[in-house]
Amino acid sequence: MYPYLLFIGITTLMIGWIWGVLYAPEDFQQGNSYRIIFLHVPASIFAQTIYYFMSICALMHIVWRVKLAAYLIKSAAPIGAMITFIALFSGSIWGIPTWGTWWQWDARITSTLILFIMYLGILTLHGSFSNLEKADRLMSILVIVGVVNLPIIKKSVDWWSTLHQPASISTSGSSIDPSMLMPLLISIVGLGFTLISLGILSSRLYILNREKNKKWVLEHV
Amino acid sequence: MLQVRKNRLWKIFTIFLVSSGGVFLILFSLNSTLDLFYTPSEMLEADIKPEYRIKLGGMVKNGSIKRKGTATNFLVTDFVKEVPVTFNGVTPDLFKEDSGVVMLGYYLDGIFKAEEIFAKHDENYMPPELSFEEEKI
Amino acid sequence: MFDIAFNTFDEIINMKGHGIYVWLVYSISILIIVVSFTITRMRIKNICKRININNASG
Repeated sequence: MYPYLLFIGITTLMIGWIWGVLYAPEDFQQGNSYRIIFLHVPASIFAQTIYYFMSICALMHIVWRVKLAAYLIKSAAPIGAMITFIALFSGSIWGIPTWGTWWQWDARITSTLILFIMYLGILTLHGSFSNLEKADRLMSILVIVGVVNLPIIKKSVDWWSTLHQPASISTSGSSIDPSMLMPLLISIVGLGFTLISLGILSSRLYILNREKNKKWVLEHV
Repeated sequence: MLQVRKNRLWKIFTIFLVSSGGVFLILFSLNSTLDLFYTPSEMLEADIKPEYRIKLGGMVKNGSIKRKGTATNFLVTDFVKEVPVTFNGVTPDLFKEDSGVVMLGYYLDGIFKAEEIFAKHDENYMPPELSFEEEKI
Repeated sequence: MFDIAFNTFDEIINMKGHGIYVWLVYSISILIIVVSFTITRMRIKNICKRININNASG
């Protein structure tokens, strides 16, 4: 399963990025610097999606005590941290030519930074317990508590005055021209598949690590 | 559902409600502090002391930009009130009339002296040819 | 829509002065993603090796 997903992901992502960076037209106000959108928007979307995924896993672990759900949280969190970092980094660089600043404490940027710190906090919390079952449970509770940050990130541009502009794509439509929207959607799908395949790898690693003394692992390896 | 699972569900639901309630209370009490900038109306109402460095944001009024050497003078508006701004230095590429702007500086004697200017753009993305056609319509 | 937006290779690199930002963001991000894949695969290989050694000795 993994090699196919990785292949689909990388191919789609490359089509989206090459189309976006080389073939899509220039933007009427930002010129060429807007081409960072094909990386920044997919990264920001998955920074939040991975957290939603982790919160569903956390609920399953707390209520039904599904062990695998906790393993998935632990394997998804580093990927979430990585992609949130990419979202923050690409946004910062994009801010230099367009806004004239690489960092402002505006509500959207700050709440995304908090999301990044949440991912690191979840990993640190889990790492600080020697009793792994207890670590799983406390980590799940922390994940659930952090869910409140997701609607704040989403709504920050409407609730407060920010340097960041409001959303371009919403359920009511998009304010991005189709010639730029198509490669953007393709990049989103491509990054999605790429991250799912990275998630498969990461969970394989964690499960092997955690269950290395079990009989089935010895047989599997 | 088993009783013990129901209990766990209620417990985590309560933890979630209480923590989000707390976060939202904090947010509501900090509401205006979380704004990145004052709008012209808010700034005029707030009676800012001249020694405080503040952020002021709004739209650059159409036809108001006047450049003299390295100095730029313009009016920033929120379509209710407007404030004259003076700035010495290089403005960002996206700084133009009828476009968003956020400035860091001091308000004294009815003029906002900007030390730094950031451009705020909108959420529309389109090729330049299309934006010309839109203007014609 | 399907015409390349640049005429020469220099234009692609330069992008009217914005090239440095665009290429910096893409290269660093691709590097980060590639490194995460490589590290994860290496660690899987290592742990499999260790399990095999334990298996053989135990």
